[in-house]
Amino acid sequence: MIWSALQLSLLVVFCATLIVGVAGLAFAFLLAKRNFRGKELLDALLTMPLVLPPTVTGYYLIILLGRRGLIGSYIYDLTGWSFVFTWQGAVIAAVIVSLPLMIRASRASIESVNPNYEVAAYTLGKRELETFFHITLPLAKRGIIAGLILSFARALGEFGATLMIAGNIPGKTQTMPLAIYEAVASGDDQQAQILALILTAISILAVYLTNKISRSYVYG
Amino acid sequence: MLTIDVKKKFVKKGKEEFSLDVNFIADAGITVLAGASGAGKTTTLRLIAGILVPDSGKIRLGSETFFDSEKRTNVPIQKRKVGFVFQDYALFPHLTAGQNIAFGAKIPDKIAKREKAHEMLELFRIEHLENRLPSEMSGGEQQRTALARALASDPRIVLLDEPLSAVDVETRAKLLDEIELAQSRAKIPFIYVTHNEAEASRLANGRITLENGRIKSEELKAIGESLG
Repeated sequence: MIWSALQLSLLVVFCATLIVGVAGLAFAFLLAKRNFRGKELLDALLTMPLVLPPTVTGYYLIILLGRRGLIGSYIYDLTGWSFVFTWQGAVIAAVIVSLPLMIRASRASIESVNPNYEVAAYTLGKRELETFFHITLPLAKRGIIAGLILSFARALGEFGATLMIAGNIPGKTQTMPLAIYEAVASGDDQQAQILALILTAISILAVYLTNKISRSYVYG
Repeated sequence: MLTIDVKKKFVKKGKEEFSLDVNFIADAGITVLAGASGAGKTTTLRLIAGILVPDSGKIRLGSETFFDSEKRTNVPIQKRKVGFVFQDYALFPHLTAGQNIAFGAKIPDKIAKREKAHEMLELFRIEHLENRLPSEMSGGEQQRTALARALASDPRIVLLDEPLSAVDVETRAKLLDEIELAQSRAKIPFIYVTHNEAEASRLANGRITLENGRIKSEELKAIGESLG
């Protein structure tokens, strides 16, 4: 149980962090650099999972992605497949709950880059996207990496929303936090202890790395 | 030759905070834009560069129109070919002097780009800074690098926003010489913003003094005079 839960957790978290990294940066760029109608609404919507109880987030995910869900029904009609009770469902849950952390950290970091650097790049003939990748992104990398590590840790600990949409199927959707719950519920203290220690070690490492990174990369 | 005739209002919470209304011509020498802080000097530079957009008016450089409110023309910053030297230099802090200069060189080939950067470093006698980050340079060195970067992009006009305000007095005289030399080599208009009287009288082919967003006085020498 320990081995399969750890493997599954790593798979889910790896996929989730990858998606959060790309999507989070795109949203952070949009929110930091662009003005458009509905920006506040988008910001609020993306931040919601940070304050909502995870089971509520999970409930909404079922409404959206379930077999008869708003989006899920189309997916089911087309493919005969649905996110419910799959490890991909666990990935979606992890993405939704950790995305706001990535967006917030990287947006703040992007906004704190002295706008003169960007303007200087424009006067040198560089377009907005080119400037973003060559100037803004490297200068904001501290916050972006911190956001990634926080998202990684949040995704690793995800329980409520995952349980709602992916369930708790050993070897299939049972990630580490769910395995701990099951071990405790069935009185298997040793199992619970080992799992808890592994998660604690990973979390400590994440905090240590975040702190270390936030002290380096300081430019004038 | 640069011709500018623009108006711009800055409104905050429904109240007019500052209004700019300037109209002048700058020829192919160094034109000093003088005046106390808050007079609108930096705003004028930013309008020329395209960082800010005027409410109305015209900005032309030679035969090219940068901005014309009547014809709804507004050339984006990237295409104006303006070399801008910022007050805080705005050298990219994660790039070395060589990389900073190469960044602006409009050459697709990487080796040629590096050669161009090297050429500029030599021209400003700062070859020894090639691999240094801005944080490892003195104010004067950063200033030279910023000027070299602006010129490496083959601009058609150079705008300098109080470029010597963060440099000590001794270095200042040397850098003034270099700016004059750079201008005479490049043969393009330089617009030099300063509130320092010594710098203004040292450099000016022409001098425009701003006060409260308006032109207070205008002294144009040589060709400028006949065009004024």
